[in-house]
Amino acid sequence: MAQFLQQMINGLSIGSVYALMAVGYSLVYSIMSFSNFAHGGVIMLGSYFGFYLLTLAHWAFPAAFVGAALCSAGLAVIVERVAYRPLRLRNAPFLYFIISAMGASIFLENFVVATIGPTFRTYPTVLPRAPIEIGSVYIGRLDIMIFIISAVCLALLVYFLDRTKVGKAVQATAHNARAAKLMGINTDLVITLVFAIGGLLAGVAGVMFGMKYTVYPQMGGITIKSFIAAVFGGLGSLPGAVIGSLILGIMETLISGYFSSQFRDLISFTLLIAVLVFRPMGLMGKATEEKA
Amino acid sequence: MLEVENLHVHYGGIHALRGVSISVGQGEIVTIIGANGAGKSTLLNAISGIVKTSEGAMTFKGSPLPTASCAIVKQGICQVPEGRLVFANLTVLDNLMLGAYLRHDHKAIKSDLDRVYELFPRLRERAGQMAGTLSGGEQQMLTIGRGLMSDPELVLLDEPSLGLAPILVETIFQVIEDIRKAGKTLLLVEQNAHKALSTADRAYVLEQGQIVKSGNARELLDDPSIQESYLGVKQ
Ligand SMILES: Nc1ncnc2c1ncn2[C@@H]1O[C@H](COP(=O)(O)OP(=O)(O)OP(=O)(O)O)[C@@H](O)[C@H]1O
Ligand SMILES: [Mg+2]
Repeated sequence: MAQFLQQMINGLSIGSVYALMAVGYSLVYSIMSFSNFAHGGVIMLGSYFGFYLLTLAHWAFPAAFVGAALCSAGLAVIVERVAYRPLRLRNAPFLYFIISAMGASIFLENFVVATIGPTFRTYPTVLPRAPIEIGSVYIGRLDIMIFIISAVCLALLVYFLDRTKVGKAVQATAHNARAAKLMGINTDLVITLVFAIGGLLAGVAGVMFGMKYTVYPQMGGITIKSFIAAVFGGLGSLPGAVIGSLILGIMETLISGYFSSQFRDLISFTLLIAVLVFRPMGLMGKATEEKA
Repeated sequence: MLEVENLHVHYGGIHALRGVSISVGQGEIVTIIGANGAGKSTLLNAISGIVKTSEGAMTFKGSPLPTASCAIVKQGICQVPEGRLVFANLTVLDNLMLGAYLRHDHKAIKSDLDRVYELFPRLRERAGQMAGTLSGGEQQMLTIGRGLMSDPELVLLDEPSLGLAPILVETIFQVIEDIRKAGKTLLLVEQNAHKALSTADRAYVLEQGQIVKSGNARELLDDPSIQESYLGVKQ
């Protein structure tokens, strides 16, 4: 029982990082209807930003954390400007966006390999390694911190989208960009904002991922799991992205805890295919078209 | 108030507007009638900055119209689009407040909201409901109400009565009169040519992207060729 609880908590912790990443995929998808595969690259660079702000610039951890998030937001906005905006202005077909996204993703990864190098790097220790003991359950301090920070970020995002005027404008643009324009909403600005938010969360996720594991140029590939989670939950749906991520995180830790970590990814991908076969819109995706 | 001169719009190879010139005076109701595909919505979208124009000039209150749609709304031109483009995933109240997106005068917004609720009491009852769950007619009321929330000087209405029951059509045209009485100017695109011509002051007839006729709305109502093409009267 104690072991099970421990696994659940680990799962929630890793699931909440997936959620931060998945939300970035979902937000962009909800507005632009394509999967932004460059997101993984932004997460990877976010991890490097945090690493170098801590180790080279010797910033305090909270400052490095915020700094990495802001740099990632900037990077995400640049990716949108360079890789997507020109296509958008020409009303390019959907496939071009996907190709451009993959190109951007490959570029970011190789840029890091060429400049920084392919080696794995380990974050300096920020929190004491010793876990907290509650009864017979041991919880890592890092896991607790990761879960709390992720939860706070997601709560802020929900507040922003549901309670503020600009958040409503984002939702309106996601639903129908032309109608949003007729309201006087600057939809280009909304798109920039959405990339900035996605990038901000990517930076937060990247730093936490780097702290939990290591930093390396291909780590963007791992974030594809958060994409799986977003599709599983229903791409474009934020609650779907969060729930899908938590389920994926818990499943992964349970599978590696009780079975074998070799099977972990196999099962993740099987899950994706199964969901797409039986419920193409995902757990929380919209099943019906809106009224004409 | 609004002057459109020699406007051309292309969609790729399709030449949708071929040199359209119209003018709308302060306080007028001007209607544009024309068959499906004539280019009526294209004209309104060109004015709203939604589609790019390839040639021509537009001025509003004496100065050139901006090209960005948000700047145009800011100038006081709002479009009520065809096809009930409500934000289905937001509540009725959210939809109305998005109409007032560029405004910051909270008191005036509140009183405009009350005015919209007076025009369409149904919207007040449904304020907290998701817009996507409204009936077609209610959604049409919502798009009109949402447009009015921007406190526009010029309202572009694209087929507001399409697909509505006759009693609701009456209501909509009553509202159009009310909007004019409130000091606004209207440019109305309609399939219901009879209603449109009886309500409007002046009218333009658009055929295949060109204005083929224009004049006093009452006179066009009695024009035999208009009667035959648009009013279903056999000669
Ligand atoms: N986005 C678009 N891409 C290509 N062609 C378009 C587009 N929008 C409109 N058209 C074409 O331009 C022409 C004019 O269309 P428009 O929608 O302005 O007609 P309309 O007069 O509003 O018709 P309706 O009464 O059916 O609403 C049509 O031939 C239409 O097919
Ligand atoms: Mg039309």
